[in-house]
Amino acid sequence: MVDQNKLREEINKIVARDNVKYVIGWEKGTYGFQVTPLFATCSEDVDKLIFNPLCIHNLAVFPMLGEKLPLRNGAKEDTRKIGLIVKGCDSRAIVQIIQEKGLDRDDLVIIGIPCTGVIDPKKINERFPNQTKTVDVEEDGKNFIIKTDEGKHKVPKEKFLMNKCKSCEFPNPIIYDVLIGKEIKSAKKPDYKETTSFEKKKLEDKWDYWEKQFERCIRCYACRNVCPLCYCNECMVDQLNPQWVRRSVNISENTAWNIMRAFHLAGRCVDCGECERACPAGIPLTELNKKLEKDVLELFDYKPGINVEEKPLLSMFKPDDPEDFIL
Amino acid sequence: MEDLTLPKNKLTEFIKKIQLDYTIFAPTSNDGIILYKQIKNPSEIILDFCNSRVPPKSLLFKQTETMFRFKLGVKAEISQIEFSNSKSVIFGIRPCDAKSFSILDHVFEDDSIDPYYVTKRKNTTLIGLSCTQPGVNCFCTSMDGGPTNPDDVDILFTNIGEKYFVEINNEKGKNLINKVSLFSKATTDDKKKKQQVEEKSKGAITRNMKTKGVKEKLDKIFENEIWKKISLKCLSCGICTYQCPTCHCFDIQDELTLTNGARIRVWDTCMNPEYTLHASGHNPRPARMNRTRNRVYHKFNYYPKNYSVIACVGCGRCINDCPVNIDIIDIIDQVKEVKA
Repeated sequence: MVDQNKLREEINKIVARDNVKYVIGWEKGTYGFQVTPLFATCSEDVDKLIFNPLCIHNLAVFPMLGEKLPLRNGAKEDTRKIGLIVKGCDSRAIVQIIQEKGLDRDDLVIIGIPCTGVIDPKKINERFPNQTKTVDVEEDGKNFIIKTDEGKHKVPKEKFLMNKCKSCEFPNPIIYDVLIGKEIKSAKKPDYKETTSFEKKKLEDKWDYWEKQFERCIRCYACRNVCPLCYCNECMVDQLNPQWVRRSVNISENTAWNIMRAFHLAGRCVDCGECERACPAGIPLTELNKKLEKDVLELFDYKPGINVEEKPLLSMFKPDDPEDFIL
Repeated sequence: MEDLTLPKNKLTEFIKKIQLDYTIFAPTSNDGIILYKQIKNPSEIILDFCNSRVPPKSLLFKQTETMFRFKLGVKAEISQIEFSNSKSVIFGIRPCDAKSFSILDHVFEDDSIDPYYVTKRKNTTLIGLSCTQPGVNCFCTSMDGGPTNPDDVDILFTNIGEKYFVEINNEKGKNLINKVSLFSKATTDDKKKKQQVEEKSKGAITRNMKTKGVKEKLDKIFENEIWKKISLKCLSCGICTYQCPTCHCFDIQDELTLTNGARIRVWDTCMNPEYTLHASGHNPRPARMNRTRNRVYHKFNYYPKNYSVIACVGCGRCINDCPVNIDIIDIIDQVKEVKA
């Protein structure tokens, strides 16, 4: 567990700086196992700051949502830095965006937290349903300690972790200005067992499976908006001329949207899992992302978001790139 | 109107009998996610659920609706959509969602008649199912509703143990019930049991929203800083509006092939920056702040001014599904606290 006092102490120093707009972290949510993004501008805000295994959001999305609004007469653009608290996977998203020149490193103050894994909201809500009051969660090595109204519960970590955390290769932030706590060692390797077994299924069975999933899509685009790497000025799905995907919500257009979303993240997705978490229709989007991640690894021996100096996968050419797929 | 009961083991027979005259929509499970769908067999119906993921507004105000079709060419032809007169039943609708139809009626019926919604609405009988397991974020009791409230359905079923307590609310409900002779008159004991269920369900609702004076307060705080603060974490996705049983905005588009086309309308969301984008390129709601504020004002200020009712039924879907825990109850609390 991260020392919250140490975290607040460091963030207090950062919010006090004139060239920092705010630091984005987490605070207690309004009910149950919710925590919610906090935009801290002063030390009173910092007092609300928390970090615990419920802090699942990838906050790297927020600098990407910034709106460049027309300035009023005489007004100057706010060029202050944005402070951002990141876990390992979140920092990979930032590395990827910096590689793509979507963000300037100098515009950020990055506070890194070595992450021991976050809780899967679905799993925890199933085990402890109907929590109206906010629930505190702590961690002791192999267990989560859940403090509900009925008392303290010690539950095995492995059972409630997000699947991505069970095979997380990069728990330590790749990029940071300040690191809170000590780096942790991880011997975990990416796990493609489920992807491999799905690949072996018959084409019709795969289609049946995804058809059932995409049928539920309501095209709210939460998967896109919550993704730090979906930051095009105009998303292809919003374009009218040409209109790549029709507005009609039906299995054909839903499939087009979901496949195009996944493809646009090939070689870029850092497996933070936010798309699937946000989806109100419960579509297992990370299964699609995982397949592309596996292909990219096998074809190009490439993992996105781990080296700021490197070029993005699809913006570089190497003479020994495989060409089997070119007709 | 009179109260009846139906033994639980007769429910399947009841559905099968009304299926002869009505198309039945009911809560079903798609991979564990509850959605209202047209059913063929009563066994598809899920009765043990809190509420559906997508509100049943999608049955009357469809996410995608074809308005008319046309053929392209020198002699363009337009063909109208035929409005079906076949009767439907939404079985198992919750009282909160049924209330959303009473709220939506103002938009689709008051000034001008929207035939797409109104035809379906007229031909649909709502058979409600009282809520016995309210969710964490349910607050219907704050919005002039209740988990066992029969006001907005035509018939209300309440699970009272061995049987359903059946309340008939109007002529539409009576017409349906008269076609089936499976019901018996409710006894005083049955009525008592329904009351017990009502009390228990109401007691299970823990969240509440205090709406008194909110409309007037909102008039004074349009330019307040709180809207910036609240919207900082908003992602601008469409979850809160698409999942809202009373949100009703739509976009109209022509979808074409080389020779044919259709004018369709699809749900739109005021959270999307495109929503108010003018052809000139100007956008009167350019920032997330403008859009988040609009959602609150539409529900708690504009709608009450226009139709004397708040456009919220307290179903809690926007709270349950928001990926960043933007909580409408919390927003209204903040509105009440802020200095005008």
